[in-house]
Amino acid sequence: MTGAWVGWLPWAVAAWLFGVGLYGIISSRHYVHLIGCLTIVQSATYVLLLSIGYRRGAGPPIFHAHPPSTPAVDPVMQVLVLTDIVVGATVTALLLVLVLQFHKRRGIVDPQQAAPLT
Amino acid sequence: MKPRVRTALFLAAAAGAMPALVRALPHFPAFGDHPSPYADRVLASAPVDRHVQNVVTALNFDYRGFDTLGEEFILLCAVTGVTVLLRGSRGEHRSARTGQVEGRPVIPPGEAVTLIARLFGVATFVLGLSVALHATSTPGGGFQGGVLIASGFLLVFLGEGYRGWRAMMQAELMDAVEAAGALVYVGCGLVGVWQGLPYLTNTLPLGTAGSVWAGGLMPVINAGVTCAVLGGFGMLFIEFLEETRVNPDAEQDTEAPKS
Repeated sequence: MTGAWVGWLPWAVAAWLFGVGLYGIISSRHYVHLIGCLTIVQSATYVLLLSIGYRRGAGPPIFHAHPPSTPAVDPVMQVLVLTDIVVGATVTALLLVLVLQFHKRRGIVDPQQAAPLT
Repeated sequence: MKPRVRTALFLAAAAGAMPALVRALPHFPAFGDHPSPYADRVLASAPVDRHVQNVVTALNFDYRGFDTLGEEFILLCAVTGVTVLLRGSRGEHRSARTGQVEGRPVIPPGEAVTLIARLFGVATFVLGLSVALHATSTPGGGFQGGVLIASGFLLVFLGEGYRGWRAMMQAELMDAVEAAGALVYVGCGLVGVWQGLPYLTNTLPLGTAGSVWAGGLMPVINAGVTCAVLGGFGMLFIEFLEETRVNPDAEQDTEAPKS
């Protein structure tokens, strides 16, 4: 018998990841660290989506080893997470390039020292 | 904005949102007990109507195929953006010399590293190929397989050093593979249009469930996605690693006074 708190623990974990990631972003002293924090904010969405898709006692939505009628978790959420991860990886690459260029042009990697771009 | 003001603002917002979250959490749908009629329909339909065992792949490349096409183009745009930003400032020149930090020795990879990288490089490549090929029957698919294959490329860099790596990784080839993959996806959608059906309608013979060719259009789209992803990530790796090279222009400037 699991406690009642298990019912809402995944949502709390997602909210916590979002919160700590956001705190990391606002207090960041290095752009690469900031992008890492953004990735943590995004990982909150992975936890949230996969938790929505989870069904108690269900197997994977892949009917290779067991017949198609077996209960399975929500495949729609898994597809959304896959999209999420791919987009996250590419956006991270693009942001890292912007950091590289910013460092080359201004020699700054600390977001708190950077004046607004004019 | 001053850092202190920003932190204060964040803490104030967090303090405001926290009680609301605590109140709301117990009223969320219970974990593991959430109705999803769409999932039920797809889980029932995919093995029967599409002859596909991996429902995630069926959703990705068929039911939600148009969304994945958008995702594919996000990848393409991001890689293009990275290439334009980096190559634009670096120029088209290439150099096989390592950029060196003053006072830090350049250590060539040891024999053990080369051996391990060669073994695992091949293994990673084969694993990636297998994951990509069996998209419709076992966990995996074009995105995962493509990334695995591209990781195999990085192991080649680790084992052979930059020069050997660049001999294998031709930027033009990676460009072509990526673009061809995206083109295959777009072209697959037009098969249905040709027959007077909506874009991305799966009209090819579906094959037997469990085989590599099951799913009609899906294995073709999957192959396209695999190519696009491995080409895209290969391109990203090339562009980022090029950044660690000595700029040939700067090199000429520094070496000119010596001669």
